[in-house]
Amino acid sequence: MGAGPRIRRPSRWRALGGFLRRYARRRDGMLGAAILVFFGAIALVPDLLVGPLETVVTATGARLAPPTAGFPLGTDHVGRDVLNLTVHGARVSMIIGLLATVITVFIGAVVGVVSGFVGGRVDGILMRITDFFLVLPTFVLALILTPIIQDLVGSSSREILGIRMTLVVIIIVIGITSWSSTARIIRGQTLSLRERAFVDRARVIGAGPGHIMVTHILPNVLNLIVANAVLVFAGAVLTETTLSFVGLGDPFQPSWGQLLDAARKNGAPGLLAWWDFVPPGLCIVLVVFAFTLVGGALDDLLNPRRRARS
Amino acid sequence: MRGSYVLRRLGVAGATIVAIVLFNFVLFRLMPGSPERILLRGIPNVSAERVEAIRDRWGLNDPVLPIVIDDAGVRFAADNQFFKYVTATAQGDFGLSFVARGQEVRDVLGQHLWPTLLLFGLGEVVAIILGLALGAYSGWRRGGPIDYIGNGVSLFLYATPYFLLGMMLLLVGAAIGLPTFGMLTAGASYPNIFARLGDLSAHLFLPLATVSLGLVGQYAIVMRSSIVETLSEDYVTTARAMGLRDGRILRAHALPNALLPTVSLIAINLGYVIAGAVTVEVVYNWPGLGTLTVEALSARDYPVLQGVFLLLSITVVLANLGADLVYGLLDPRVRT
Repeated sequence: MGAGPRIRRPSRWRALGGFLRRYARRRDGMLGAAILVFFGAIALVPDLLVGPLETVVTATGARLAPPTAGFPLGTDHVGRDVLNLTVHGARVSMIIGLLATVITVFIGAVVGVVSGFVGGRVDGILMRITDFFLVLPTFVLALILTPIIQDLVGSSSREILGIRMTLVVIIIVIGITSWSSTARIIRGQTLSLRERAFVDRARVIGAGPGHIMVTHILPNVLNLIVANAVLVFAGAVLTETTLSFVGLGDPFQPSWGQLLDAARKNGAPGLLAWWDFVPPGLCIVLVVFAFTLVGGALDDLLNPRRRARS
Repeated sequence: MRGSYVLRRLGVAGATIVAIVLFNFVLFRLMPGSPERILLRGIPNVSAERVEAIRDRWGLNDPVLPIVIDDAGVRFAADNQFFKYVTATAQGDFGLSFVARGQEVRDVLGQHLWPTLLLFGLGEVVAIILGLALGAYSGWRRGGPIDYIGNGVSLFLYATPYFLLGMMLLLVGAAIGLPTFGMLTAGASYPNIFARLGDLSAHLFLPLATVSLGLVGQYAIVMRSSIVETLSEDYVTTARAMGLRDGRILRAHALPNALLPTVSLIAINLGYVIAGAVTVEVVYNWPGLGTLTVEALSARDYPVLQGVFLLLSITVVLANLGADLVYGLLDPRVRT
């Protein structure tokens, strides 16, 4: 270290503290965060709250009975407690959403950073692929990919990390079909970072492109990645719900969408059995709504373009 | 300028369609099992000769790609599965459905296309009219009660999957005795065309309400922010300074310019509309492409799924192309 004047950089922790204080002033963002914390807690310990997941064999109630003291949300068509199913559904839906988001954001970030930093022909090829996924209706693609891959891996009862193969396939399919907009956003930011002085400096002292991308570009697009991940999460939950609703879910690990599928197949709405589908449905709406609120607040605070405007 | 813009858009759309067709070819050759097993499904004790005959007849013994690399080196094969697939697809021949007793996929798709077009065509029209009116009004009277309520409802509807909305409306409809199943009353005979149309409209009411409600929020949100932005433009201030009345400023200056962003929204939305179509139709057993898709999914009727995939994705690409061209026509700034 030389003896020159030392420039005090604000520490990462102090920056985080400042950010949290600004976030806490956003009422919409705080409401969304509260809803997400609530569902996150439920998803962590469903067994403590309502006991193990009820199955056709362990069902205790009458068939499609309205809410009573013993079954506060009524029972479904085979006599399972809807409260039990909905609480366990939180775990399945949130885990699928989370893992699908991790895959989506990982692919999007890698494609975006590499494409923006390397440029040239690599950029050209990666962006054509990105455009293809942007233009294509990704839900229709997911709808066609899911059964094919499910057939490829077979209908065995294998599990990975406690998640059944059917659901692993759904996670992967959501991941590989929804990364394109993330890649676009990250690429844009990388393009402007590439021209900054600190990147030039790193290059001059001999840092390779891989090193620069990981230690200089990535930390500076992290803000965008976080803000984008929240919106991706909302989309992933919706996509999973829809795929499960059209019958691609797993009845042995029911997500909220799978519960809605079962309710529809057994004619619950027509039988006026609202308790069989309103609870899981309301959970989906609340979670997606909360993610939209948090995503909007984060975007306002973290997106450099928006920050400059306000 | 104009020519090159149109050409580039056409090029991108063409390349995407080619990519979709190639993708479709590759994807369905990844599938497990062999096609002859599916063709001979349910027939016991099939001899090896029979399998060979079937493979020959359906061209499964031909090379997959036009270029063959084997011990004899690299050579070109004119008789290959890829060329046959491309020619057949270009002629609209998607093969035979497994489930619909060997009917042509093209015909199966055709039968299910009209109910979908009717439901979603009408739904789009209702949603666009209501959404634009609601958005324009709440943007014009920003901060008023309609704006406040409309915004909240739009956000909430945005977070609601179409089929959930459908199940809720079905519940209400079933409680007040509206028809909730299919397009016409099963087995009914009609004295005249009007009775038939009446029955159709009664069946159409709930699905149509679902589709329109599901779509209206997005149009309202975009139109509202568009109007708000337009109203802060200099030419609106000028119009005010000239002493024009409010109604005239809105109709002659703000509305035409605010409509622009919604044009592209309609096309971009089409992909989401399709996702909605699949699920809303299932809720009401509406005999359209959505119900067909779900039936094909559960029976793993891959030729039908392939047809649905090609039809829907190419439609979306063409709609995007149309929106780009219309947008270029309306807004000279994008014609670069």
